[in-house]
Amino acid sequence: MSMLEIRDLNVYYGGIHALKGISLDVEEGQIVSMIGSNGAGKSSMMNAISGIVKYQSGDILYRGEKLPTMANKIVKQGICQVPEGRLIFANLTTYENLYLGAYLRKDKDGIERDLKRVYEIFPRLEERKHQIAGTLSGGEQQMLAMGRGIMSAPDLIMLDEPSLGLAPLLVNTIFETILEIKAMGKTILLVEQNALKALSVADNAYVLEQGRITKSGPGRDLLKDPKIAEAYLGKAAH
Amino acid sequence: MNLQYFLQQLVNGICLGGMYALMSVGYSLVYSIMNFSNFAHGGVIMVGAYVGYFALTALHVPFLPAFLLCGLGSGLLAILIERLVYSPLRKRHAPSLYFIISAMGASIFLENFVIATIDGTPRNYPTLFANSISLGGLSLGVDSVLMIIVSAISLLVLMFIIQKTKIGLAIRACSYNEKAGTLMGINSSLVIFVVFLMGGILAGFAGMLYGMRFIVKPTIGQVTNKSFVAAVFGGLGSLPGAIVGSLLLGVMEIFVASFNSNLRDLFVYALLILVLVIKPSGLMGKVVEDKA
Repeated sequence: MSMLEIRDLNVYYGGIHALKGISLDVEEGQIVSMIGSNGAGKSSMMNAISGIVKYQSGDILYRGEKLPTMANKIVKQGICQVPEGRLIFANLTTYENLYLGAYLRKDKDGIERDLKRVYEIFPRLEERKHQIAGTLSGGEQQMLAMGRGIMSAPDLIMLDEPSLGLAPLLVNTIFETILEIKAMGKTILLVEQNALKALSVADNAYVLEQGRITKSGPGRDLLKDPKIAEAYLGKAAH
Repeated sequence: MNLQYFLQQLVNGICLGGMYALMSVGYSLVYSIMNFSNFAHGGVIMVGAYVGYFALTALHVPFLPAFLLCGLGSGLLAILIERLVYSPLRKRHAPSLYFIISAMGASIFLENFVIATIDGTPRNYPTLFANSISLGGLSLGVDSVLMIIVSAISLLVLMFIIQKTKIGLAIRACSYNEKAGTLMGINSSLVIFVVFLMGGILAGFAGMLYGMRFIVKPTIGQVTNKSFVAAVFGGLGSLPGAIVGSLLLGVMEIFVASFNSNLRDLFVYALLILVLVIKPSGLMGKVVEDKA
C-alpha cells in the first residue's frame, strides 16, 4: 500500500477542466517529483490534496483511507504543503511564522525540538527570529516557508515550486535541504519547473501536461528520456 | 478658551473617542479578515443599546451586569448575522460587494425589526451616575470617568488577545493571508467566529455607553457610522489604527463642536473624504489589495 494514492482525480474550475483524471502513488520515505510547465495543473493537484481546492471526482487515499476534505483536518493527519510563492506571513516575525507551522501540535517538547532542528538547517532563520518576515530576502523567505512546513511535523511534505525565482546558488541550497528533509524520514511530494533538479533528487517522477499525466517512472529514467530532455531539460533530442 | 475649558473638552473628546474605538475595532477586525466593511455593525451596536436599556428598566439590574448583558446580546447577534448572512456568501466565494450590500441590508433589517417589535420612539436611559468628581478645578462626571475606564479595559483585553494568545496569532495570520493560514491547519471558520464574537461584544459595550450618554432609538446605527470613519481614518484593518483614529476623531469632533456644533458631522464626513482621496490606507492601515 502506498502512503498516498490518487485515483482518477478530476478538478474543474467553472468550465475549465484543470485535472483530467490523474492517478499517482507516493511511497513512504521517497521523494516523488512532478514536473510540468506553467498551467499544467501541478498546483491544482497539491491544492486538491491540501483541501484548498475541491475536486469533483476521484479518490485521494492516505495510508489506505480517504483523506478528509477540510484543510485543517488534512494538516492534522500529517500532510503539509509549502505553497508556491511561499505565502509566508509578512506581517509576523520569523519566530511567529515558525510557531504557526506547529499550530495544531500540542507536544511542547516536540515543538521545541523541531524549532532547534529548523534553526540548525537554516541558521539564518535563528539570526532573524525576531525580524518581521516581510523584510527577509526571497531565499530566506523560502527557507522560512520550508521551516514552517517542518514545524508541523508532517509525515508527507508537499513542496510547490520551492526554487521559483531564486538565484542558482540558492537553488542548490534548497535542493540540498530537500534531501536533508528526506533524511529526517519524511516523504516528499515535489512539484517543480526546474525539471533537471527535480528529477535528479526523485525516487519516482511524473510528468503532467495539460491536466494529464503523460509519463511516469524512476527519476533517473525520465532524465534519460529524449522527449523529456527536449521538452523540459532544454537539450536537443538526438 | 481657558485651560479648564480646554481640559474639560479634552476629557469629553476622549470619552467620545473611547466609545468610537469600541465600535471601530469591530469594523477593523472584520475588514482585516474578510476584506469588507461590515455595515451591519451599526445595527449590532443599536441592539446592544436596547439590551442595556431593558436590562436597566425592566430587569432593574445594576450597571455592570447590564453592561455585560449588552456584550452578550450583541456578541450573539454578530455571530448570528455571520452565520445567516455572510457564511452562505463565503461558501460561494462571493465578491466583496455582495458582502457589503448584504451588510447594509442586515443593518436596515435590524433597524426596522426594532421599530416593528419595540417601537421607534427615542428612549432615555435612567440616570445611573449623577455625581461628579472635582479634580483641580475640573468637574468630571462619574459616568465620563467610568466610560473612559471601561473602554480602556475592554480595548486592552482585546489587544492582549490579538497580540499574546494563540487564537490572536491565528487571527493575525489569517488577516495577512487566509489561504496560508488554512495550510497551517488554522480553521478559518473558527477565526471568523471569534472575530465576530469579539467585535460584537465590544459593539454591545459601546451601545450601552452610547445609550448612557445620548439616547436610544432604532436609527443610532447610522450615528455609529462615525466610528467607521474613525476606522478608515486610522487605517481599515489595523487595530491600533482604529483605536488611535477613534481617539483623534473623538477629540477633534468635540473641539469642532465647541466652536460651532453645526459643523460637527460636516467635519467628520469631510475628513472621511479627505482620507480616501489623500491617503486611503489611513494613519496605519494595510495597503488595500483586492483579494481575488
